[in-house]
Amino acid sequence: MNTNSNLYTVIYTSVVCVLVAAILAFVSQALAPRQEANEKAETISQILTAARFADKAEWDSKGNDAILSFYKENVDKAWLVNAQGEECGTLDISKAEIVTVSGLKKQNYAIKDGSELSLPVYRFKNGITVVPIYGAGLWGPVWGYIAFQQDLKTIAGAYFDHESETPGLGGKIKDDPSFRAQFAGNRPDFNGSTDEVFEIVKGGAPKDKEGKDVEDNKIDAITGATMTSKGLDEAIDTWLEAYKPILNR
Amino acid sequence: MDAKLKETILNPIFKGNPITVLVLGICSSLAVTVEMKGACVMALSVILVTGLSSLVCSLLRKTIPNRVRIIIQLVVVALMVILVDQFLKAYAYGIDKQLSVYIGLIITNCIVMGRIEAFALSNKPLPSLLDGLANGAGYGLILIVVAFFRELLGSGTLFGFPVLSALGYTNNGLVILPPMALIILGCIVWIQRAIQKDLQEK
Amino acid sequence: MEYVSLFVKSIFVDNMIFAYFLGMCSYLAVSKNVKTANGLGAAVIFVLAVTLPINYLLYTYVLKPGALLWLGEGFADVNLSFLSFIVFIATIAAIVQIVEMVVEKFAPSLYSSLGIFLPLIAVNCSILGGSLFMQNKDFAGIGESFTYALGSGIGWWLAIVALAAIREKMAYAHVPAPLKGLGITFITVGLMGMAFMTFMGISL
Repeated sequence: MNTNSNLYTVIYTSVVCVLVAAILAFVSQALAPRQEANEKAETISQILTAARFADKAEWDSKGNDAILSFYKENVDKAWLVNAQGEECGTLDISKAEIVTVSGLKKQNYAIKDGSELSLPVYRFKNGITVVPIYGAGLWGPVWGYIAFQQDLKTIAGAYFDHESETPGLGGKIKDDPSFRAQFAGNRPDFNGSTDEVFEIVKGGAPKDKEGKDVEDNKIDAITGATMTSKGLDEAIDTWLEAYKPILNR
Repeated sequence: MDAKLKETILNPIFKGNPITVLVLGICSSLAVTVEMKGACVMALSVILVTGLSSLVCSLLRKTIPNRVRIIIQLVVVALMVILVDQFLKAYAYGIDKQLSVYIGLIITNCIVMGRIEAFALSNKPLPSLLDGLANGAGYGLILIVVAFFRELLGSGTLFGFPVLSALGYTNNGLVILPPMALIILGCIVWIQRAIQKDLQEK
Repeated sequence: MEYVSLFVKSIFVDNMIFAYFLGMCSYLAVSKNVKTANGLGAAVIFVLAVTLPINYLLYTYVLKPGALLWLGEGFADVNLSFLSFIVFIATIAAIVQIVEMVVEKFAPSLYSSLGIFLPLIAVNCSILGGSLFMQNKDFAGIGESFTYALGSGIGWWLAIVALAAIREKMAYAHVPAPLKGLGITFITVGLMGMAFMTFMGISL
């Protein structure tokens, strides 16, 4: 058979393309429910980690069902807010309904082009409130959850995740607990002179003689991960600004 | 085992190493050598992917039209990587979270393509499989050596455990940055060619 | 103005070679002299500038979550982004192959100087990298994605020509024998990368 004729080439290529697309579509359809269940439990465990109920590794060892039932027991209210901070929808707690990463992506588009928002807010029975953030890192999206104390001004904890940042560099936003730990106790500044609500400073945040941060809304960036730090900084600014009506009361 | 097969396996590890001799797969070797853990995960994944995709392409080699071979090869590689990713996402989510960042790096790794193009398309399945596996191993070896120095000097740790930092070593931030990986690679080439004089360029 | 800053930024600040270290394999292998480096550089600019807008259109109107809305309301929830890797790669490989055939047929002299590089480009990760960054950067339109592609391509061309020029000069230097060729090139690129890092702080 002449494998170099035009007809053969065209037919061969088409068959391969159709076959590959069909396999991928079938597999992704068939596995979608399981993947979604995993993704949901993962998202909830990230929210719970940000609210500092337990460490991420502990949630990972517990399994999906335990995470879901812990969430259902401890969450007080989960709802959606619009750009004015008014409630515009509720999330069903009994079904552990949450907004996953793909939902955050859609809201990120909405924040950018100024269309109608419905941003999720999770309030727990111990008074901690968690809001998500979403943005672009170096190679792909970065997102995360920031937990506020009862006053809705002081950060209680944070957790970040990413799709494809470089392990050991940008990946540290997720893997390095000391980066996350910097957030606790800080306060985003909505009334400052710049439009930076919160800042991740390259080369380190300004410090006093004892090595303590001078300003409450600045933390140290990750060495060698300028782009990821920048992207995360922008994501936090954009999203906290969107939550301003409920955070800056 | 006959001598030719043995040569196929041993050659890529040192004498014909994909990174230091064939200059393939440099991009990813810069990206994932900041820490030992990442380098080991990447090395294992690449060994698997190069082996399997060489095998599949070698099985298909008589049917692939010459003019579109690059598309077909890329599609085969990408299909397998994505399939593995999808299954892991459904049944082993914990592992997938560790691996997902490497998916893109594996598909674009030119070692995979380079070995298919140079070896698998003109050889039988078994030698192709071995060639793929061995090249992955040769690649992984360099990766781990570079990562060893970068993690040790850059963060003072190995696999996350403090080694130099426990001795009061101040981390050298420069080693974490990608240019330093190139310089370490340059030194590895230097050492290798000092031992193997026939590789030296005039 | 936005186009200008995006253009300059993609050449210097977001340089494919020195900021992201993409497309290193062919960069190191084909930088022995300025003439061939020019050829490969031109080919990269061309392929980036053609494939990136095409991938942009594919992503915006087919692959993005909710991108199929133009087919009707029922398609609003279709999310084909799991296909984006394979579609981008297939587009790039197809374009490269088409370009190769066209150039071979209609401009044989160009083919003899450029043609050998074209198959190399399909596996050049800076091309796929460009498409993946595009997906991440949410460009406002095809114009922006084209500007970005052109800038990145020129940045890549600049980097390879600079390295080739250095390597040509290095032929007259006394480099230790085992370090000659590849070894010293690695080290040179590392030093160039450090120099290019100064651009990182510039915000445009």
